[in-house]
Amino acid sequence: MGQNLADARAMVPGLTVLELDRPLLEAAFADFADWHSNASPLVSVLTEMAGYGDLVLDITGVAHLFGGERAMLRLLLTRLRELGYTVSGAIAPTIGAAWAVSHFARSQVVEPDDLDAVLEALPVAALRLEQAQIAGLVQMGLKTIGQLRPRERKPLQARFGLSLLTRLDQAFGMIEERMVPRLPLAERYAERRFVDPIGLLDDVLMTAHDLAIQLAIRLETEGLGGQAFHLFLYRVDHKVMALSVNSARLTRDPDHITKLFSNRSERLAGEYDAGFGIDMIRLAVSSVAGLDAAQLGAFSHQDMAEDLDQLNDRMSSRLGSLAVLRTQLVASHIPERAARLVPALVANNDPAGTGMRPALVRPLRLLPVPEPVAINAEVPHGLPASMTWRRESYKIEKASGPERLGAEWWRSGQRLHLVPVEKPEKGEKPPYIADLPLHDPDAATRDYYVVEDETGRRFWIYRQGFHRPDEPAVWYLHGFFA
Amino acid sequence: MSDRQQRLAALRDTIADIERKPALAEARAMVKNDAAGFPLLAGGLLQEMFTDERRNAGAVLGFALAQAKGLLNQQRLAVIYLQLAEDAQKLGLPYGPGLMSFGLAPDALILVRAANMAELLWAAEEAVACRAVAAVIADIGSPSRLLDFTASRRLSLRAAETGSSIFLLRYGAGREASAAHLRWQLLPAPSARQRHDAKAPGPLRWRARLEKGTLIKQTEWLLGWTENGFSAFASQRRSQDRIAAGAPLSRAVPAVLADRLPQAG
Repeated sequence: MGQNLADARAMVPGLTVLELDRPLLEAAFADFADWHSNASPLVSVLTEMAGYGDLVLDITGVAHLFGGERAMLRLLLTRLRELGYTVSGAIAPTIGAAWAVSHFARSQVVEPDDLDAVLEALPVAALRLEQAQIAGLVQMGLKTIGQLRPRERKPLQARFGLSLLTRLDQAFGMIEERMVPRLPLAERYAERRFVDPIGLLDDVLMTAHDLAIQLAIRLETEGLGGQAFHLFLYRVDHKVMALSVNSARLTRDPDHITKLFSNRSERLAGEYDAGFGIDMIRLAVSSVAGLDAAQLGAFSHQDMAEDLDQLNDRMSSRLGSLAVLRTQLVASHIPERAARLVPALVANNDPAGTGMRPALVRPLRLLPVPEPVAINAEVPHGLPASMTWRRESYKIEKASGPERLGAEWWRSGQRLHLVPVEKPEKGEKPPYIADLPLHDPDAATRDYYVVEDETGRRFWIYRQGFHRPDEPAVWYLHGFFA
Repeated sequence: MSDRQQRLAALRDTIADIERKPALAEARAMVKNDAAGFPLLAGGLLQEMFTDERRNAGAVLGFALAQAKGLLNQQRLAVIYLQLAEDAQKLGLPYGPGLMSFGLAPDALILVRAANMAELLWAAEEAVACRAVAAVIADIGSPSRLLDFTASRRLSLRAAETGSSIFLLRYGAGREASAAHLRWQLLPAPSARQRHDAKAPGPLRWRARLEKGTLIKQTEWLLGWTENGFSAFASQRRSQDRIAAGAPLSRAVPAVLADRLPQAG
């Protein structure tokens, strides 16, 4: 460690040199970090000093499950050492202190009372400083934290920047340091550990069902229901697979939850890889809110809406939430803006939307992107007489229109023409005119026609812009009528 | 010859009864009650709606939605429309304001955009099994190997069991074997005269031909649709009795074809 390549080559001439694949290592370490959430739910990777290598666990209220802090530290370290990793660790009141002790002292548990004594004996490098800062401090003769700490703070900040003081305060717990947990934090979960690792997807789903029942009992006693459920599969080889499903309405029905997970797992058929087996499964619930027990009525229609929502959940879990959609109407007269497709899972919050019934007839099907058509009219301003679309020509027997739809200038950041303003008299301020481009109704207005060919097919076509004698009109087909 | 075919039809009815299709029996009763206009078909049927070309997509969707509207009630809240995601640009997506003009509340229609045919069929079966669904409309843009007789049989049994209808919108002239209770060929027809403007498109007209199924005796229909329901117009009455209209065949017909004798004639 710390040896440079030239020295190493001098000692062993036939040395093979490989460059570190950092992104790969970081990804692998992140998986490794997730796996540690079987010890504590709050796990994060400290990336300030290196992209990988430093793992932080918040073990507040967890240690007693492992027989105390000392036993927990020993368990976590020995199980990694048995896998062949070189590892050191520490339990301390602050993240900074734990980092310092684990890097610059033997692995130990630092009690809050001993914090100052332990830290002050450590070299300044233990404060997670930059190389330049460490070199500067050593030059000043400040080798340990104990020597640095009583110094005047203002000169230190002037010379080394605020980050030095921040690090110092973080290590001693004067200011708070936050960690960002890698996995969503769930307060309510059910988990099961296996003596023998399991591998089959069916077994996983059966376990998920058992856990869902456990979780449902717990949620029921608290009078709660959840909308998002996460299934974490902890593999023996230190990886975690996470599956998440969502529900349109609050639920704690174990059968429904299991069904969603089994649908979701169909979608990952190829990606599912149990490796050497799964030794722990955790089912967690988030987005929790109060859900009162409902009595089933023989003649109520309420449960029909619930059935429909559950169908939407099942279809969304298998096909993806963007595949199951509802129409939401929007107050706009631009046809493609007037209806918006929103995932059925979230659409229930606002069933009606702000739209209103259109004054004139609208097509039953709308093309997502209008397609260009060639139109011939008998007279320039007249109704279309024939149309060519997708290489077929149509003789237009009947047509009605135009329905003129102007562009929404207030959305395009443009201003309208104004009545010419009078010239300001001397000394008077000129009137305010927004510095926006002029709105061009000529370019963005559409004239819609309903046309019917000789066999009765009915199309919705429009001409972009106003009719001009000097240039050919641009026509599009936008929809089909019944 | 017609005597023999009548006996054949009677036998077919007996077989249908043996197969215990409650929905079919119910629907038959309903048709008898309403002999004058286009019958309001009960739920629980698998209906195939063929149209010759994709550009008739609007008409065939309209016919399916018109029937589905009659099935919506307080118990059955929604119509599920299924389409492959890749077909959206070819066929167009159902449009909310257009549904309003057509006479259907847009929030009663749930759109499902499946990635492939296997998922679409899964979603169709899942949806038709839900008792809160009035009808499932599956828009099959192009024929698929997966949608075979077995698949349609599954869907038809599931529909008969739960009482939700399923409509398969199909395009093209080819007809495969299927377990559909009814098979329609639907084409748009020139619209009626607009009262105030002879040049403008008037009330819509569809020409529907029943190709398969014995629930309805009249096979040729000229239909109109308003928000309030179907209206049937005088059509070629001579083919009203399909059994009489079918010309004798010159050779033996394979079993698959036997259901559409009038077409062969």
